[in-house]
Amino acid sequence: MKCVLVATEGAEVLFYWTDEAFAESLRLKFGRSENEGEELPALEDQLSTLLAPVIISSMTMLEKLSDTYTCFSTENGDYLYVLHLFGECLFVAINGDHTEDEGDLRQKLCVLKYLFEVHFGLVTVDGQLVRKELRPPDRERRVQVWEHFQSLLRTYGRLREREQCFAVEAVERLIHPQLCELCIEALERHVIQAVNSSPERAGEEALHAFLLVHSKLLAFYSSHSASSLRPADLLALILLVQDRYPSESTAEDDDPQETDSFSLPEEYFTPAPSPGEQSSGSTVWLDEGTPPTDAPQIAEDTLQMLVPHSPVASGPRRIFLDASVKESHCPMVPHTAYCLPLWPGINMVLLTKSPGSPLALVLCQLLDAFSLLEKKLKEGQEAGTTLRSHPLMGDLRQRMDKFVKNRGGQEIQSTWLEFKSKAFSRSEPGSSWELLQACGKVKRQLCAIYRLSFLTTAPGRGGPHLPQQLQDKVQSIMQEKLTDWKDFLLVKSRRNVTMVSYPHARAPRLVHFIYVDRTTGQMVAPSLSSSKRISSELGRGPLATFIRTKVWSLIRLARRYLQKGYATLLFREGDFCFSYFLWFENEMGYKLQIIEVPVLSDDSTCIGVLGGDYYRKLLRYYSKSHPAEAVKCHELLALHLSVIPTDVLVQQAGELARRLWETSRLPLL
Amino acid sequence: LLTTRHRPGCVTSDLPLYSSPAPDFAAFPQTLLDQQELLCGQIAGVVRCISDISASAPALVRLRKLKFAVKVDGEFLWVLGCAVELPDISCKQFLDQLIGVFNFYNGPVSLAYKNCSQEDLRAEWDTFIEQILKNTGDLHKIFSSLWNLDRTQVEPLLLLKAALILQTCQRSPHVLAGCILYKGLIVSTQLPPSLTAKVLIHPAASRHQPCPCCFVILGAALPPNVRIMPVFLTEEEATSLREFPREQAASPAAAPARLQQCSAQQPPHPRSTGAPTDNATGHVEPMAWMLAATPESACPDVAWPDGKGENGHLPGCDLENVKPAKLHSPPRDEGPGLGSSLVKELHLPWGEEEPDLSAIHIPEAQETETSSGYFALPSTGAPDGGGPCFEEFVRDSGDPAPESRDAPPVVMAISSVLSPSTPEMLSQNGALEQHDDLPGDSSQAPFPREDHLPGRTSRPRSWPCSDLRQRGTALPEGEQGVERSVGAHDSCSAPGGSALPESQDDNGPSADRRDPGLAPASCMGLVPTNLYTHSVNGLVLSLLAEEPLRGDDAAIEEVYHSSLASLNGLEVHLKETLPKDAAASPSRTYNFTHYDRIQNVLTANLPQTATPQDRRFLRAVSLMHSDFAQLPALYEMTVRNASTAVYACCSPAQETYFQQLAAAARSSGFPSPQDGAFSLPGKARQKLLKHGVNLL
Repeated sequence: MKCVLVATEGAEVLFYWTDEAFAESLRLKFGRSENEGEELPALEDQLSTLLAPVIISSMTMLEKLSDTYTCFSTENGDYLYVLHLFGECLFVAINGDHTEDEGDLRQKLCVLKYLFEVHFGLVTVDGQLVRKELRPPDRERRVQVWEHFQSLLRTYGRLREREQCFAVEAVERLIHPQLCELCIEALERHVIQAVNSSPERAGEEALHAFLLVHSKLLAFYSSHSASSLRPADLLALILLVQDRYPSESTAEDDDPQETDSFSLPEEYFTPAPSPGEQSSGSTVWLDEGTPPTDAPQIAEDTLQMLVPHSPVASGPRRIFLDASVKESHCPMVPHTAYCLPLWPGINMVLLTKSPGSPLALVLCQLLDAFSLLEKKLKEGQEAGTTLRSHPLMGDLRQRMDKFVKNRGGQEIQSTWLEFKSKAFSRSEPGSSWELLQACGKVKRQLCAIYRLSFLTTAPGRGGPHLPQQLQDKVQSIMQEKLTDWKDFLLVKSRRNVTMVSYPHARAPRLVHFIYVDRTTGQMVAPSLSSSKRISSELGRGPLATFIRTKVWSLIRLARRYLQKGYATLLFREGDFCFSYFLWFENEMGYKLQIIEVPVLSDDSTCIGVLGGDYYRKLLRYYSKSHPAEAVKCHELLALHLSVIPTDVLVQQAGELARRLWETSRLPLL
Repeated sequence: LLTTRHRPGCVTSDLPLYSSPAPDFAAFPQTLLDQQELLCGQIAGVVRCISDISASAPALVRLRKLKFAVKVDGEFLWVLGCAVELPDISCKQFLDQLIGVFNFYNGPVSLAYKNCSQEDLRAEWDTFIEQILKNTGDLHKIFSSLWNLDRTQVEPLLLLKAALILQTCQRSPHVLAGCILYKGLIVSTQLPPSLTAKVLIHPAASRHQPCPCCFVILGAALPPNVRIMPVFLTEEEATSLREFPREQAASPAAAPARLQQCSAQQPPHPRSTGAPTDNATGHVEPMAWMLAATPESACPDVAWPDGKGENGHLPGCDLENVKPAKLHSPPRDEGPGLGSSLVKELHLPWGEEEPDLSAIHIPEAQETETSSGYFALPSTGAPDGGGPCFEEFVRDSGDPAPESRDAPPVVMAISSVLSPSTPEMLSQNGALEQHDDLPGDSSQAPFPREDHLPGRTSRPRSWPCSDLRQRGTALPEGEQGVERSVGAHDSCSAPGGSALPESQDDNGPSADRRDPGLAPASCMGLVPTNLYTHSVNGLVLSLLAEEPLRGDDAAIEEVYHSSLASLNGLEVHLKETLPKDAAASPSRTYNFTHYDRIQNVLTANLPQTATPQDRRFLRAVSLMHSDFAQLPALYEMTVRNASTAVYACCSPAQETYFQQLAAAARSSGFPSPQDGAFSLPGKARQKLLKHGVNLL
């Protein structure tokens, strides 16, 4: 019984998603009350009818009390409602089957909002414009858009339930240094360089290329000129690929026995350095990872997910990612993503930058400045006089004048003139309310330009993109390079790192662990599979499933306590003992003193990467007190049998962390 | 601090959407009136809407800066606003508690608002809220715990004395059970925690006489400082109280110990008993109390250390038989453990001709001190004798386990008999009362006064042992239960054996007889009862009694006189011995909180005004408490942030939290055995022993 709804202040549905059980309950509800023979109202209308009172009440509360609902729970927690207001849109998530807690639901909403941003970029800043994108007047198109996001939500739910990397929101790599090196070389030469030197590339510039085996990263190469890709963005891309080419349908694996020969510990602990790559300034990623866990509990979501996708989904897609443009950081820079399937389960992703990215930077900066201005106007009620003398205003005026001159455009010109007359006129300065209005109009115009430049002409809608032959060529080269490795990779991805790699003699009673480097956004964990066909050390079936639920609940608990500022946890529950550690260190591995981690309210955006990028903020916060050095953040979650004495547990955890640190450090040398 | 954010309110009418239906706010001290109306209307609307979608009403509505516990009660809606820091679970418990208090004093909400003016009810709410705010510390808010006297500060003998006062009162006609408070804090209670909570909060003195609908004006006949007001028990409470005295009065001397012990004995029972308002367990709880109480008395050493109670003695016989039995003093039979318990229970009246409590002198009490002091510490874990005793009981008394498991059906059976009041009701009240008081009566036997009730001769058949079994006969397993009952009788006593068939016959009708007494309860599941309170300066004796008490001047007199002297004495002693000022221990090196889940009381060493470090402790406690409540298998936690580390552990009976105050050397958070946070469990075990908290 799950449902997600995005609505405007006026309770207009911008997006919804329900699972089959929820849809069925709606059908029952409305089927009963309607007359026989009469057609049931559309699902969106049913939802809007049901939830309108809550949405409107929530807006009324906000207006009258400057406070609004964040959560409802019914007796025994049967139903849980989480509400989150992003800008002018209210996001509502409902769960009626105890499978998700408040944190999960809020995270789902944050991820959905992030997916909107990835797809629509800065257009999401403006409520009216994003409405046009999310709820196109054309019914068919609307269905397409909604189906796309519904499918993404289902995929996200499935990945979060099954994959450790999505549970902790960090990228998991396939561990195979030699192969990784080979791939990086191929990506560099035969993909990035090949595309960028091609005369047919239509102004597109290839920036990043990477290989995914299921949801694990095999190799990643970035061109010289590219800025690094955020872990959150990489995760979002993996999500998009998994959505388009779900790995469930792939031939699972051939022979599980075979894997063991490849997952020997020494293989993991001696990753080969990749000498060629550092010189070119690219990021070299070693591989590693855990198997995706196709579970016995295949939800109906999954089955639906396997249904062929709408045409929107195929072909290159416009996405907006964080990047540095001309030395300055800019959120939501337009990119084009090409997902090139090599074999089922193995995909290559190519990211290109369109020539328009400088424009995105300018627009972004202008929008930022206007937002700041808006905030000041709302807060201080400063009249135009004081604002005019504000240094920010002078700068903004200059840049805006320049922008308007270069871009031309009737509407933006007149809007800007109107604003100037209100803000800078000496004779009759506008009131702050008038200024706010004018400010809003300018912002909308800027957003409209952004939309026109990057969305209306998106590659998915016939905008410029790499020609098909070029894509095909790149694809076949990579297929050729990897053809001998294909089967190995598919198996390897399931049994990436095994507990065998961590000799039990050293860590008796250790059941499982997850080690995360939050600076790079990568994780290492023994494979944890509940698949019927693949067994891990935990075996298959009930025990493995049980351990999985324990690990997942540990992740949940750790997240909740971190939200409340606790960086170290030790729990004993039943037969298990959970421990969680978060610490900071410098480049050399010297452990830095822990600081007060900010205490967040229950309704704050969640502790995660995809929706909120918590760890990046945390690192920035910590770095303030350590301006001189590069700060790294690590997490270790461990699951022990509860018979272990605390001191032994802590010692084991420390040793484990040290060993993992050594190995994760090697590729950077 | 946001300590005064409690906003109970109730909305009448049909909960229309988007409109504010003339809300009846009982107390909204902090919100402006129009905001109240807005909140009221909006929340009512949202509750309706959510109920539509989910088919169950929301229990919690959270805003960014506030959270509301919500309860739908017929056409009424109860909403309590709390600070957002308070754990969800505490917020809900708090509301349940408030509703309980309101119903206790005013009856069903629909009736109260029909009969009383809103003005009066508002004033009443104000009093409740005021008391709650005054007495509820941060920790109490988290645990929704009762306000109890710090038992480590009280001479154990005084606790015993208080318990004995209650015992004595219980022997008066009509009286069911009670509790003694000193300056609003519990000194001793016989009531289950949910009921004690209601007695703790009392309506304003002015409420003594006003609203004629709710509080009947009594004649001037009442002794000074005494008032009697009608109150309303829930059915479960009423059932448990009426069950209780049988076991309770069975052993007056052992009672104080038993009361304390209940907590220790409780663990075998569902842990959810911690939630006093949980309906599902509401039935089970009273049974658990009973079962816990009875076995205890099977332990002679624990119950009566001076050994006077050792006289072996056959129970279950008529009073005439009892006395000779005592004289004969046959060698005690180990088999029926209950046998010896009954002796003890009878011991006091015989040992001293007058059961005057003031007769208990310090010298004699010295002997008992060790044990009573021991029990005075709530839930120090099962005392040595407790465990074995219980087991012995289980073995001896046939099969109590299924009984407790099957208790709910029994209770249901009784309550389902409840019919709208029958004509015979009044005439049968006496009989009912008599039935309920049976064990008490038997111990009262030597007193001349006791024969004022008719039909006493048949009474002794219901001595605890057989009583327990007879209830077994009411269970579905029927015949088996009867057999067991027979067996028990045989083994227990020869003299009373012939009474067996009668007693079974008696059992059937007795349920019917009970029915009229409960019948007035048909006012929406609440049972009218009387609350007798007698205050002596700061000391208040509160007794719950059957309704006829109000009209029975003689009975009132009896209660009053039997307790007056000892109450005065107790008050003086408490005043003298209690530390005047809670001069916080000069240098605490640690904070701790020990929560007794069964009795719902706290022991803590936190000062009144919280330092930043204390606040960190409180924050951790509230988080961990919620998790303990949600994850039944969770039993130990250590959480640490940059400035503090808090250790917590819990068992089905208790939760303990511990924080060291000395500024720990700052660590990196990297797992290291040198980290002080991980040595907290050992420190807690060591330091808390002296507070009577045993974590081993």
